[in-house]
Amino acid sequence: MGYYDIDDVLADSVEFPCKFQYFLPGLGYLEGNPGKPIEKNCRLDLPLWLARILAIVGGDEEGQEDEEALPFVELLRPEMFSPKVVNAIKAGASDLDLHTINAHFYSLAVKWITLFGDEELAGVVSEMVLERSLEMNGHASSVAVQAAGVEAQSSLIGSPFLITMDESEKQLYRLAHDSYKRTKKWIIQT
Amino acid sequence: MSLPEHLQATFSPDEIQFIVENEPIRIFPRITTRQSVRSRHRDQITQAKCTLITSDDHNVNQMVAMQSTELPLWLALLLKQQNKCSIVAPRWLTLQSLDQSISFEKKNSDRFSSLPWNWLVLAQLLFGKAPDDFHDPVHELRSRIQDLREVRQLKVLRGLRELNESHLQLDNLSLLEINELRPFIVGTMDKLRQIHTATNPESQPHAQAQLTQQDLDEPPY
Repeated sequence: MGYYDIDDVLADSVEFPCKFQYFLPGLGYLEGNPGKPIEKNCRLDLPLWLARILAIVGGDEEGQEDEEALPFVELLRPEMFSPKVVNAIKAGASDLDLHTINAHFYSLAVKWITLFGDEELAGVVSEMVLERSLEMNGHASSVAVQAAGVEAQSSLIGSPFLITMDESEKQLYRLAHDSYKRTKKWIIQT
Repeated sequence: MSLPEHLQATFSPDEIQFIVENEPIRIFPRITTRQSVRSRHRDQITQAKCTLITSDDHNVNQMVAMQSTELPLWLALLLKQQNKCSIVAPRWLTLQSLDQSISFEKKNSDRFSSLPWNWLVLAQLLFGKAPDDFHDPVHELRSRIQDLREVRQLKVLRGLRELNESHLQLDNLSLLEINELRPFIVGTMDKLRQIHTATNPESQPHAQAQLTQQDLDEPPY
């Protein structure tokens, strides 16, 4: 996850639900009405690049210097890590439509786990990575062979699993499939 | 970047072939390059001598027809192409020993038989370039190699269930087999490691090394 990694930039712009813990004048444009203040306990969806920072730093209210400052916002658990989704993952990770849940599910999960040290979610997600990777490997390694050489087409067009992959899985699929294809091509040619 | 994307983290099969072609192999020359003492004394007709900088050129200049010698594979293939030698197939590339390997693979479902690291590439190269130099019929050798490849692929597939965030042991897996699996295995293990380090950043032994790698990605403010 580098600074210039375009997928990371896109993942960072996904909005997370947040609750403001302060009254903040002038920031109403986050809500869509500029010039107005933001009320305390107001719920907003903020992009992760903003929410992550605001959930860490806090304004010190008067006389609270000794205690740990309350951060500006509280990150609420988003829909994609809700118990409903977690149960669906446990039920059958390879049948899950991950792309619909979120196109950047893995990198967001890693970010979320880093922020909150959520070991339970980490366990669930690693299980899912393994299970879905095996499924993906099956699709990636099936290289169709034609008389003229190796065709680019892998599994059936619109194979349902391929549509459900999230962005990082797609990238890995492409790499793995290319590798299998090149090897097969070489074996046929020599 | 200056290096194409598909080569940045792995080798292409052609590069694997290049690596394998550097290995020595036994041949029967059909030409004689050794100069007899008599002709050396006359020293009028100086024969062209081969001088190599990446491999030993002693054998090249001491070839006697039908006396077996060892040359790098790339040189052997070049000579074979001009009908100036015949290549001796390695000992594991016979029907008998391939059958032994196949039965070993079938008996031991938890490990790979000890074929050399370049078995698949070498077999393919020799089948293609020197099919007339085998004692056994080539089509049967080919089908044995194919059998071996399939048995091993099945084992690999089973082994992938054990992917984890720390390590993997792949004894006796050949270079081409590793190379075709590399993007998938490394990618998946990388993801698992990311999730693992996200929960407990201290427990990772390589945390320091990863940090510096990340620092490199970050622009200097």
